[in-house]
Amino acid sequence: MSRDSIVIEILTILKEEFEILNPDLNDNLTEKYEFDSIDAIALLEYMEKIIGSELTQEEKKQTLEIRTINHIVDYIEAMINKRQQTAVI
Amino acid sequence: MERRVVITGESAITPIGHGKKDILNNLINGVSGIKNIKAEEDFLSKYLYSKVYGIVDYKIEYDFSRKFAKTLSPVAYYACQVSREVIEKAGLSKELLSSGKTGVAFGSIHGSPSVQRSIYEAFFDTENKGYLKVNATDYLKSMAHTTAVNITRMFGITGRVISSCTACTTASQSIGYGYEFIKYGLQDVMICGAADEYDLTTTAVFDNLLACSTAYNHSPQSTPRPFDANRDGMVIGEGAGALVLEDYEHAKKRGAEILAEVIGFSCCNNGGDLILPNADGARRTIRTGLENARINSDDVDFVSAHATSTKAGDTIEAQAIFSEYGNKPYVTGFKGNIGHTMSACGAIETIFLLYMMQEGVVIPTLNLVDIDPACNMINHTIKLREKKINIGSIQNFAFGGVNTSLFIKKWD
Repeated sequence: MSRDSIVIEILTILKEEFEILNPDLNDNLTEKYEFDSIDAIALLEYMEKIIGSELTQEEKKQTLEIRTINHIVDYIEAMINKRQQTAVI
Repeated sequence: MERRVVITGESAITPIGHGKKDILNNLINGVSGIKNIKAEEDFLSKYLYSKVYGIVDYKIEYDFSRKFAKTLSPVAYYACQVSREVIEKAGLSKELLSSGKTGVAFGSIHGSPSVQRSIYEAFFDTENKGYLKVNATDYLKSMAHTTAVNITRMFGITGRVISSCTACTTASQSIGYGYEFIKYGLQDVMICGAADEYDLTTTAVFDNLLACSTAYNHSPQSTPRPFDANRDGMVIGEGAGALVLEDYEHAKKRGAEILAEVIGFSCCNNGGDLILPNADGARRTIRTGLENARINSDDVDFVSAHATSTKAGDTIEAQAIFSEYGNKPYVTGFKGNIGHTMSACGAIETIFLLYMMQEGVVIPTLNLVDIDPACNMINHTIKLREKKINIGSIQNFAFGGVNTSLFIKKWD
């Protein structure tokens, strides 16, 4: 899945499920859109669907530092790559 | 030093309307809010013997932003809507709400049953564990105190919070505890009330205990029938009621409109059976309430009876009313119009009393056509009357043997 595709998916989810319209990819979601911990947990479920599998507890903890859409997309790319590498092995 | 406690705001969502104009019009015209249960393909509706319910079947424009709506279940929507309305009506400023001097006493039977069911569906689903799981907000929406804390969140309230969950006495306890917080100087303002959403599991509980009305499924508006010889049990209802209680001096200083005064509250427990009504408990409740209000029984002009329309409950309540009041005060069972709105009933019935005080009328008990001889010793309101009510009482009795009485005085 390309990075652009991931960005489009995330922007669609943010619009339809979180009412966040036309955000900049480097906007701090908490500061600008009051995106709180409840929203973050809800977004994780959508991220798992994009990644294609459940996240482990350790992997979920890595999301605590996420603040922007670029961070989200970086994370999803990293998880997809990790799973592809695991599948090759 | 004890402070006087007044009511400066009220709002109710009921099966006979939302807001004073609709509700009062429907009370005066003897309108019933009872309908057949919704035609849904769910597990319970096929098995229930009682097919009637007090339903809020009109649209409510909520207009809550997603920021707040994301933690709201149906019961909390009701709670926040009536709270918003009483805050507006009472003219409570943002500064006052967030001052620490305003608190919330608001509850429900046990949070949101509909959201709790979706959690259990995820719990028992063995096939889709990855994606069908408990949502981030499910607990917040479903928890027992979801009404109270969604109110504090939405309106930035930082004072005391109590979220009673005592079934039929939830709202009356909310009002009573709110009254005491203000009376004893712990808070200046309290938003008090309760709500319950449409839920057939509540009907199932009482249906299983043979306490629900089943003989009028073909004519829902003929039931429930408080104190009537042909009553056959309770009808569950949904709804919400909220009041703003305030220290009298505080209300006077800010020029608030005062609707009535809360002059007394009592709460006691039967200390025994969790289900059966208890005459001694009911009598003690009335007696201690009168003592708390520092009035005599013949000062009371009107009693809003709990009167769920069970054979035993109405009989015992009539005996208790007669024992403490004689046959002087008018007695009405409002559940004839709206069913038993469970945790909200104490607040809704208090609001109905306020409307009667304001309009100088006494609303009759709907469906009370043939008074049961076992209940006929008290002064039933069987037709609409013009009468000034100076002091009225609202009494409620709950599963678990919890009993409450509230005393409200007209404000001139």
